[in-house]
Amino acid sequence: MNFVAAIGRVFLSFLASTGRLAMFAGVSVSHIFRPPFYPRLLLRQIIEIGYYSLPVIGLTAVFTGMVLALQSYTGFARFNAEGAVATVVVLSITRELAPVLTGLMVAGRIGAAMAAEIGTMRVTEQIDALSTLATNPYKYLIAPRLLAGLIMLPCCVLIADIIGVYGGYLVAVHKLDFNPAVYLKNSWQFLELIDVISGLVKAGVFGFLIALMGCYHGFYSKGGAQGVGSATTNAVVSASILILGCNYLITEAFFSQ
Amino acid sequence: MNSRPVKIALRGLIKSFGEKHVLRDLDLDIFEGESVAVIGASGTGKSVLLKNIVGILTPDSGSIKIDGEEVAGLAGNARDRVNRKLGMLFQGSALFDSLPLWENVGFGLMSAHGISRADARVAAIERLRQVGLDADSADRFPADISAGAQKRVGLARAIATEPEILFFDEPTTGIDPIMGDVIDNLIVKSVKELGATALTITHDMESARRIADRVALIHEGKIAWIGDVGKIDTSGNEIVDQFIHGRVEGPMSASLLGTPAA
Ligand SMILES: Nc1ncnc2c1ncn2[C@@H]1O[C@H](COP(=O)(O)OP(=O)(O)OP(=O)(O)O)[C@@H](O)[C@H]1O
Ligand SMILES: [Mg+2]
Repeated sequence: MNFVAAIGRVFLSFLASTGRLAMFAGVSVSHIFRPPFYPRLLLRQIIEIGYYSLPVIGLTAVFTGMVLALQSYTGFARFNAEGAVATVVVLSITRELAPVLTGLMVAGRIGAAMAAEIGTMRVTEQIDALSTLATNPYKYLIAPRLLAGLIMLPCCVLIADIIGVYGGYLVAVHKLDFNPAVYLKNSWQFLELIDVISGLVKAGVFGFLIALMGCYHGFYSKGGAQGVGSATTNAVVSASILILGCNYLITEAFFSQ
Repeated sequence: MNSRPVKIALRGLIKSFGEKHVLRDLDLDIFEGESVAVIGASGTGKSVLLKNIVGILTPDSGSIKIDGEEVAGLAGNARDRVNRKLGMLFQGSALFDSLPLWENVGFGLMSAHGISRADARVAAIERLRQVGLDADSADRFPADISAGAQKRVGLARAIATEPEILFFDEPTTGIDPIMGDVIDNLIVKSVKELGATALTITHDMESARRIADRVALIHEGKIAWIGDVGKIDTSGNEIVDQFIHGRVEGPMSASLLGTPAA
């Protein structure tokens, strides 16, 4: 009997926090569309997410492209399919690796920072102070972050696509002695618009989820420094898992016939 | 005094955190244009009372009326509209640490009253001057100034929009006596000149005598005594006497020291 009660309690608290998250997301999104707007805050988040993440994203993408070219070459050489390297690199990068790896890197960088910043504002009563100054915290703090995540992650992924493909090109041409022109032609030949678009759609969803998890866990953090610490951890872990889960769902929506 | 309209009316206010019953059926009327000081032992729910009135906490039951309008449980735009009438100094200052001091002080002007950044900066610097901080400090950040200075910036932020109702949670705690005087005068001035209604929490009886028209003492989740500030020494109330003389023995000690630690 106790066992059943324990399961029931876990299930109920799961439902409660899912409901709270859904409410939080709904209220925050509604504030994206309702004035007053805070363009200055949006710009700050755009720079934070887009611009300052570029070094991390660029490094991740270039090494991923490089190792992909090398791995697929050594693998495909076993059945004389070296010619497919360019296509494999470009499809893997645009469809999967650029969005997922960018998402995970940004989750570590931005999700954690958002949870820590908003969490600290919560435990030092800065969020309460906002509302006494007749300023809605959802509008002032959450909405700009969600919007910036939604806008900027696709931009980052587009850049990661280019850098990743270039990384593959570097290894193929300089190390594996591919003909540059042929490699580029092979890259283009089988690439379809849907490959890039699906990656960018993923990126938009991931960007939204990263910001949502960072804000949500920060907003409901309690209990001083320790609470902020666990909010940060929870934000990164939950964003990463959601990214991987949604990645499968979006892939299925786009590519399974 | 009682011919004035009631600005804030609290009736049957109850607020508990789990097993901890903080406010237990609290009633309080605050009249327009008066300054009330709330005193009481540490942990008796003075800050919780303030947070219920400004909507940071929602009471478990009871009524909170501001200008006759029920505000308990208000949220969103309706709450923002009510909160435009008030200013609050937090016990821990609660300054926005990502903004320089002048933006902290001018925040309400810019965000809720649509005043331009340039004008808000001028107004903010003037407020900072009133609380004894010079114009050079305007571009510094909260983390770079002392706790006493943070408190004063918090005060400047609370009065910057010249609200109708002011809430001060321990405005002079952690501040030297000279600056404490300045702050008391500023509170008196805000009430007298702007006609604001003020509710100030304090542990400092000297300060309470200077700023308040009436004094209310919270004990065991209720207002145990309320009366004109002049009558505080002759209240005939044991709890008040114990508090203002800082005696260890008395009715207050029973509930403070007698309750087993949770
Ligand atoms: N958010 C909260 N969650 C749980 N308990 C709380 C919360 N806020 C306050 N309390 C409890 O309510 C009681 C009253 O707290 P409050 O901060 O109002 O005291 P206070 O009268 O302002 O004391 P002080 O003079 O020390 O500031 C305390 O025991 C505190 O632990
Ligand atoms: Mg307090």
